[in-house]
Amino acid sequence: MTADVAETITAQVVRSALAVAAEEASIVVVRSSHSTNIQEGADAAGALLDASGRLVAQSAATTVMHSASLRFGLVSLLEEVPVANMRPGDVYALNDPYRGGIHANDIMVLRPVFADGRVRWFGGTLVHVADMGGTAVGGLGSVATDTYAEGLVLPPVRLYVAGHPNGDVLGIIERNSRTPGKVVGDVQALVAGANVAAQRMEELVERYGADELDRQLDELMEYTEHRFREELRRVPSGTYRGGFTIDSDGVTQGKSFDVATTVTVDDGAIVVDFAGTSAQSDGSINASISQTWSGVVYAVRCYVDPSVPMNEGCFRAIRTVLPRGSLVNPIPPAACGGRVVTVTAATEAILQALSSAVPDHAVAASALIHVYTLTGHRDDGERWLTMGYEFGGIGARAGEDGPDATGAYFLGGRSVIPQIEPLEAQFPFVAERCRIVPDSGGAGRWRGGLGVELALRMTGPAELSVRGDRIGLPPPGAQGGAPGGAGCFAVIRTDGTEELLRPKQQHIPLFAGDVFVMRTSGGGGLGDPTTRDPERVADDVRDGRVSPQAAGSVYGVDLDGSGRASRGSGR
Amino acid sequence: MSSGIPLPRGESADRRFSSDPVEETSAIRYFLGVDVGGTFTDVVVGDTDGHVATVKVPTTPDDPREGVAAGVAEILRAQGVGPRRVSRVVHGTTLAANVILERKGSDVAFVTTEGFGDMLRLGRESRQEEDRFDLFFRPPVAPVAHGLTFEVRERVDSRGKVLVEPDVSHLRRVAAQVAESGARSVAIECRAALPAEAYVVTSSEVWPEVREYERAMTTVMCAYVGPVMNRYLAGLQDQLAAIGLRCPIEVMESSGGVMSASLASRRPVYTIESGGAAGVMAAAFVGRLIDANEVVSFDMGGTTAKTGIVRQGRPDVTHDCHVGGVSTAGNRRAGSGYPVKIPVVDLAEVGAGGGSIASVDSGGALRVGPESSGSVPGPACYGRGGAAATVTDANLLLGYLRPGKLEAGVSLSEELAAQAVRQHVAAPLSLPVPAAARAIHDVANATMASAIRVVTVQRGIDPRRFTLVAFGGAGPMHAVELAEMFGIDEVAVPRGAGVAAALGLITSDLVVERARTWIMPLASARPSEVAAVYEELERHAEAELPSGREDLTVARSVDVRYRGQAHELTVPAPSGPMSAASLEELGRSFGARYRDAYGVDLAAPTELVTFRVRLVRQVEKLSPVAHALARRDADPALAGHRPVWLGGSHGFVECPVYGWEKLAPGSLVTGPAVVEGPDTTVVAPPQSSVHVDRWWNLRLRRSTGPPAARDGRL
Repeated sequence: MTADVAETITAQVVRSALAVAAEEASIVVVRSSHSTNIQEGADAAGALLDASGRLVAQSAATTVMHSASLRFGLVSLLEEVPVANMRPGDVYALNDPYRGGIHANDIMVLRPVFADGRVRWFGGTLVHVADMGGTAVGGLGSVATDTYAEGLVLPPVRLYVAGHPNGDVLGIIERNSRTPGKVVGDVQALVAGANVAAQRMEELVERYGADELDRQLDELMEYTEHRFREELRRVPSGTYRGGFTIDSDGVTQGKSFDVATTVTVDDGAIVVDFAGTSAQSDGSINASISQTWSGVVYAVRCYVDPSVPMNEGCFRAIRTVLPRGSLVNPIPPAACGGRVVTVTAATEAILQALSSAVPDHAVAASALIHVYTLTGHRDDGERWLTMGYEFGGIGARAGEDGPDATGAYFLGGRSVIPQIEPLEAQFPFVAERCRIVPDSGGAGRWRGGLGVELALRMTGPAELSVRGDRIGLPPPGAQGGAPGGAGCFAVIRTDGTEELLRPKQQHIPLFAGDVFVMRTSGGGGLGDPTTRDPERVADDVRDGRVSPQAAGSVYGVDLDGSGRASRGSGR
Repeated sequence: MSSGIPLPRGESADRRFSSDPVEETSAIRYFLGVDVGGTFTDVVVGDTDGHVATVKVPTTPDDPREGVAAGVAEILRAQGVGPRRVSRVVHGTTLAANVILERKGSDVAFVTTEGFGDMLRLGRESRQEEDRFDLFFRPPVAPVAHGLTFEVRERVDSRGKVLVEPDVSHLRRVAAQVAESGARSVAIECRAALPAEAYVVTSSEVWPEVREYERAMTTVMCAYVGPVMNRYLAGLQDQLAAIGLRCPIEVMESSGGVMSASLASRRPVYTIESGGAAGVMAAAFVGRLIDANEVVSFDMGGTTAKTGIVRQGRPDVTHDCHVGGVSTAGNRRAGSGYPVKIPVVDLAEVGAGGGSIASVDSGGALRVGPESSGSVPGPACYGRGGAAATVTDANLLLGYLRPGKLEAGVSLSEELAAQAVRQHVAAPLSLPVPAAARAIHDVANATMASAIRVVTVQRGIDPRRFTLVAFGGAGPMHAVELAEMFGIDEVAVPRGAGVAAALGLITSDLVVERARTWIMPLASARPSEVAAVYEELERHAEAELPSGREDLTVARSVDVRYRGQAHELTVPAPSGPMSAASLEELGRSFGARYRDAYGVDLAAPTELVTFRVRLVRQVEKLSPVAHALARRDADPALAGHRPVWLGGSHGFVECPVYGWEKLAPGSLVTGPAVVEGPDTTVVAPPQSSVHVDRWWNLRLRRSTGPPAARDGRL
């Protein structure tokens, strides 16, 4: 066998082993998680990294929200704890948004992997845990104003010291959570996942040797970078601008926020400059650096073959400019729990910029995930807690309607909505409906996807917190398309009064018989609605997506008694 | 076209299928297994004396029944079996999966609780894998049109309490609308009963388990496939009756049991993994035969390779099945495709088979699969116009397959294989052709290894003490190297490896599995209440099994979870009356399983969630004849020599080639060597040995010693 062929085979075998190891680590975390939404939504990650902080491999079955999280977390860990001070069997945890973290509820765990007596790599895991204290149960501090209000912050701390649990740290975490049993279980799962990643790495060392393995990792990153740049070369070079406006931060009255991007594409390299982005918010919508990066990497990857593996090579072709003190690079102790609002605005802004670079790949804006937490106490005094969510419509695409209520872009993750029956069996509510909202898709030559309405009737008392956006300013259309229909949060009391909630609101008391209604927005339309194919309008009416009235008044299409369409006089 | 595997002539009194059947006076009965694959329909006949013969005929895709009938007629004629003496016909079919994937089912009316009519089109609002980066992705199409969805005003809470009583006149109105809708079948996902004359399926009958979307989809898929399955099986029964067969058809269901045709027509989704299950059941059968308690089943076909696990004779079963979903490393992904909640053999499937296409991407990485050349045009070496380099082409160039060998009715061309591999792999990678071929072979192995990893290591199972049972045309050529990767010492290749799945059909029992969700905290569960749930399930299940005098075994299990968790683990439950002690034991075995699965001990309250029963009626089935062993020289079976690429420092080595059918029970072949059967090839590397056992199976060990004798048997 020639050296070349051995090389080709080894490279392929090592690459698939790395991918499987990262995946396996995440599977361990997700499967043993104590939160329904984590299990169903895979709000977690598993990764392998090296001692210089480079991402080697990342789980693919988990949400893309965490594309960059562990990578930045490790860089912080390495700054504060030199590898020389690490011992075999040590396991570190952190969640500080200003040290590569996200927000209090997303805990990262990193375990060094030794070879030849020194730290060469890390196995890493990350999961959203049930409760880490803070003003809001379950971490949905949608109106928090600093990190102190968001829960316990962990700088890099040792969870395990030389293979032994560090009771001091575990005790602090346990004592600061409203759901101590769940959090400790989740932390154990994180450690188990990181151990699996580390073990797989050790197996590869055994087989190939540490130096050969490092050489393979270098080659993998080079291969990835090469392909990533080659894919980017398909985007015409130039400078493109895009922006997105955020409704509100939940604490500053009447103020909206802008995320502005200038995207420069030049021969396989891309620079995303956020100059012009609003100053950081007093609320919780700020995105720490790792999160902004996750959004940027995600948006750029939408223009790259998805078979390109996720590792350091993906980061090399991208440069960002993140103005200090802005929404995308805040100064401590700005709150970060609602960062998804800003990160998704950043991805929309980048997609908008690149839509002008590649017009036949243009997309209109999508709705944002709407999140709620409900909590209360059981008869035996134990606290119950559930975090739920629904997606809205995806924006229309050039040549395609937007899909209904689906995890848009960055939030697509593996996110899947939990089914209702298991929730009803555990929590004091009965779902009255979960329906798509007719006419909520932004009108256009290509129609935006529809939003969805969920209604829960309480059978006992509870406390509600909500977070949404793109309600006051619903997802805008593009190229003459209309914005999507606006969603809302509301409570209908037993006496029939309807209370409209603010899109970001905490601590709303609910009582038996109250109905909580959550409606997500529709996606924006693309192109002039009066140029939409009348047959498509007729299909939409038949499928209940567009009302016959809107077919006439918005699309200018008349339908006869049997549903046949004709272009009306135009209104 | 018959290409049956010749029956080996052993030295024992090897009685053939008699050409002169003695009708009523003879006690011999025959079992037919018919497995319809994408390319070939495999038919196997076995008898009560343990003899087996097989035939392979082309699949007739427009109506698979023609191929089935032709194969059955051919094998009966060839073996001289009178059709009236066939006591069982067991069918493995991909019909249900094909109908769903190709969207060829009936128009279904979907009736559900008010407020949830959009359940099917919303699905779980998920977006999978590559789709997440595709700005132009298309969500899966809802299986039921909006105009055929009907809501009924009724509601029951999670404890079974009626919150909204359905109103009879309202129900009549809905029923009238359904009747006028033109739907061919009806899926009902609520407790209210509707009068209708169409094919009606209710979720409470199909799969009464918690999680409404999955239950509804399972029900809808039954309604979608049901009328097609019904017509298909009824027609097949007629066709076989025309040949003279008198016995009713049975169908393999996805967990490896066999169900009656009438139940298969009522619950067609149960047959979704019929073919895959048949393969694993064949591995289970071989494992029982050779006293291997723990088996990895490895089935490599033309397009994919499938792996599964068998422990103590039973395949591992999961309830997580997604038709047309995405998978990672062969592991099917929750939230993709159409979920169906039926019990399915826990399979991992990867896109690596004999026809898998090898190519080099823009970054210089070699990829193999998942694209396949299929049977048309097929691998380049088939000479049917296929230009792509495939795994089969690589195997031919490496000497694993014989140049000029007849496969799929063509003579394999080394020249065409070399041309394709040179153009698509060797030239872009600047490699010599044999090295490129070896790279293709190894990359395919790496892909298939991930499928073995999924069903073993990822499930917390250490495969090292397992036996790898390899079959499918290409499987035995790759099995030994895969075994080595996992530290598996013994590989078994069953006689008739190329049609092994059909063999799995006639070695399985009748099975019915039922489940019911009833969530109760373990601490407050009453033993009598739990026993009553099981007894009711068992009554229903037994009513669905064809009656018979044979033994009936009942296995109870229950899904248990820690309160607050979303997912359960299934643990066995004791049969008969329940006591407080047996409930405590349930809790303990759940704790132990949880620790095994996640490595974590939890002291949290537990809940019983879904109760399950599995009834098995043991039926008369194949029990192959064991031949006497004679330590015999393999030389008489030596067919010649050819160069075979053995890798490492060996390169091409001139290896002896033995004909499988000329070897006899007890024969020993020492590697490096090749054993060639009519439809498969086994490559024995240096430091390995191949024995022919009592049943003519090949038993390969990765050392030169004889296989470990288990209970003195070989």
